[in-house]
Amino acid sequence: MPLFPRPATAAASGAPAKPAKAKRRLRATAAVAAAAAAVLALSACGGPAQSSADGKVELRFSWWGGDKRAQVTQAAIAAFEAENPNIKIKAEYGDWSGYWDKLATQVAANDAPDIIQMDEKYITEYSTRGALLDLSKYGIDTSKLDEAALNAGKSDDGLTGIAAGINAATILANPAVFKAAGVALPDDKTWTWEDFERISAEVTAKSPKGTYGAAAYGTDEASLGVWLRQNGKSLYTSDGKLGFEPSDIAGWWDFLKQLSEKKAVPSASEVVEAEAAPLDQSGLATGKNGLAFWWSNQLPALEKAAGGELQVLRFPSKTGKAANTQLWYKASQFWSASSRTKHPEEVAKFINFLANDTKAGEILLADRGVYPNSEVRAAIQAKLTPADVKVVKFIDQIKGELGEAPAPPPKGAGAIQEIIKRYSSEVLFNRLSTQDAGTKAVDEMNSAISS
Amino acid sequence: MSAISELSSMSRRKGPVTEEEKRANRRDNKAAYIFLLPWLVGLVVITVGPMLMSLYLAFTDYNLLQPPEWTGLDNFTRMLGDARLHNSLRVTFTYVLVGVPLQLAVALLIALVLDKGLRGLPFYRSVFYLPSLLGGSVAVAILWKQIFGTTGLVNQVLAMFGIAGPGWISDPSTSLGSIILLHVWTFGSPMIIFLAGLRQIPNMYYEAAEVDGATTLQKFWRITLPMLSPIIFFNLVLQIIGSFQSFTQAFIVSGGNGGPSDSTMFFTLYLYQKGFGQFDMGYASAMAWFLLVIIGAFTAVNFIASKYWVFYDD
Repeated sequence: MPLFPRPATAAASGAPAKPAKAKRRLRATAAVAAAAAAVLALSACGGPAQSSADGKVELRFSWWGGDKRAQVTQAAIAAFEAENPNIKIKAEYGDWSGYWDKLATQVAANDAPDIIQMDEKYITEYSTRGALLDLSKYGIDTSKLDEAALNAGKSDDGLTGIAAGINAATILANPAVFKAAGVALPDDKTWTWEDFERISAEVTAKSPKGTYGAAAYGTDEASLGVWLRQNGKSLYTSDGKLGFEPSDIAGWWDFLKQLSEKKAVPSASEVVEAEAAPLDQSGLATGKNGLAFWWSNQLPALEKAAGGELQVLRFPSKTGKAANTQLWYKASQFWSASSRTKHPEEVAKFINFLANDTKAGEILLADRGVYPNSEVRAAIQAKLTPADVKVVKFIDQIKGELGEAPAPPPKGAGAIQEIIKRYSSEVLFNRLSTQDAGTKAVDEMNSAISS
Repeated sequence: MSAISELSSMSRRKGPVTEEEKRANRRDNKAAYIFLLPWLVGLVVITVGPMLMSLYLAFTDYNLLQPPEWTGLDNFTRMLGDARLHNSLRVTFTYVLVGVPLQLAVALLIALVLDKGLRGLPFYRSVFYLPSLLGGSVAVAILWKQIFGTTGLVNQVLAMFGIAGPGWISDPSTSLGSIILLHVWTFGSPMIIFLAGLRQIPNMYYEAAEVDGATTLQKFWRITLPMLSPIIFFNLVLQIIGSFQSFTQAFIVSGGNGGPSDSTMFFTLYLYQKGFGQFDMGYASAMAWFLLVIIGAFTAVNFIASKYWVFYDD
């Protein structure tokens, strides 16, 4: 089947004249050289960080986060390098969405970064599979660290993560949206979920088209966690199982549907679109939502994106009592290290710097949450920006109201958020009843965390 | 006649082969292999090696962090009961069976118009080819997302006529359609091939048909289509294979999760999620080999069916 038949002359032309032997040998040598060069080029790419001949150690450090985090983290690296001229830290950072795929691939390829910013959803997965270094053996000072935050990084596999910050689940409010709608900001010490619904619907009704009182929940497990805890359940149990029944999550979706019907939250399509938006373009930052569900440490970055002040609020409760909101302190993220790092001592030195050195604290401030080291926290107090101060104040305020510390997410917990998201949209688009969605979601979650 | 048979007929020569010639041949072969070496190394290291590895992994439980464990056919039996996998097959088949014929029809139509010998043909050809260069790219997928968003260009235009459009990409009932449309829009490469094919149809057939008083439509059905059938076949095979493997568009448009509600969860996207998102690389490898079987089967059916509709002039 000749698609583009060659001209007859090409096929008929005979063999070219034979070159002299010497010429041919030269040609062969050149070919070998070219081939060798290609092979060398192939093998030259990739490979883990290594110490060079002059005794300089290069470490790779990867994290997720936005521009602001990149700036402060780079500055902290520079401060560390100035003190330790023989250690060079190479930064690798990106968005949350691609971070975990990349990390899994790097670890599988034996090319993991030496220092890894870790999340509680994945730390068990990586720890139990032996991918993380037990940091307790390398002399990192943990004496000043908040005890709960420190324990969050401990497991049977040792101390595989040092908490980088403390945060809490919050609702952030954009006062500009409330002002434009002429609605008063809620009192977060007394508000109930009914108030949340009423106020959000009112803001939507009094705002221009496309602006809603609140962002929808249902895109992550934090808001589900709060809901479950207020109902006497939990996301996970301490023995690594799901802590709730299909009917519990169905109730959460029932209320979400109610919010959606009252237009307190955006339409199903808009919710799906909002999921994909990065922090800078989120509904809260762009003034399209009056209230939204965020972690406390994200407030400064969101204020920067919104170009105005935001307010931190407690979650609503069932009873209207702040003591019943059942919030908790979460280790915002962990400093972890690859178990295959060639330079565990230097890695530990760097993590020790990040966790315990006031210089690092003065640069990082509250970007990764409130500092777990009490000394650093006190020392940097004066340097905090107004946005940071708000976050620290909030964390202090809720201290007396906290519920029990939640059980750590088990292995496989990384898949839970995606399952919640998917079934939330099934519910919002009326493709599944909340009961059916609950049964199916719980089935999938069970198999995700048991495998 | 295939390229291989052409080559072998070239090498057949008359007369006995002398020792000197044999040696020269061997040396020539050696040089050829040396020249091929860079490519061969690439093929073995980057393609064949990983392929064999994935064939092995398909029969194991491999979580990326620990060594794989042999589990036999377990991954394949799991695939039978995986509802999300079945859904991803449904999505992929819809995409291929709707998208490919539509795209080829558009490509042929544009090629026919361009073949009319319009002035500035190279310019139009380039313009129509442009989407194909861009279509698979991340940038265009993002653009697509904007255009078909709830407040995107399409809905703004619809709003002028008083129609409230849905969130084309964020509504599960229209999201796959939007991606198929993106695929159809990248009709450039089949179009170029169609154009080349149209140029090869001898004019005498049309002249003869005109003398007999054939209409334009008759000429198209009786001359153009049969003469073009090898080209259509070629495009069909290529596009089907390509479409089964398509990934980028769905990945970007859905934000990597095949959503909303798995409505754009292509087989390849699910494979990627399983392998890289959920530490299930053994299962993902099994899926990859299953996809290879599907594509192989489709291509085989295509070739068998071609006997009944593809017409070779020579």
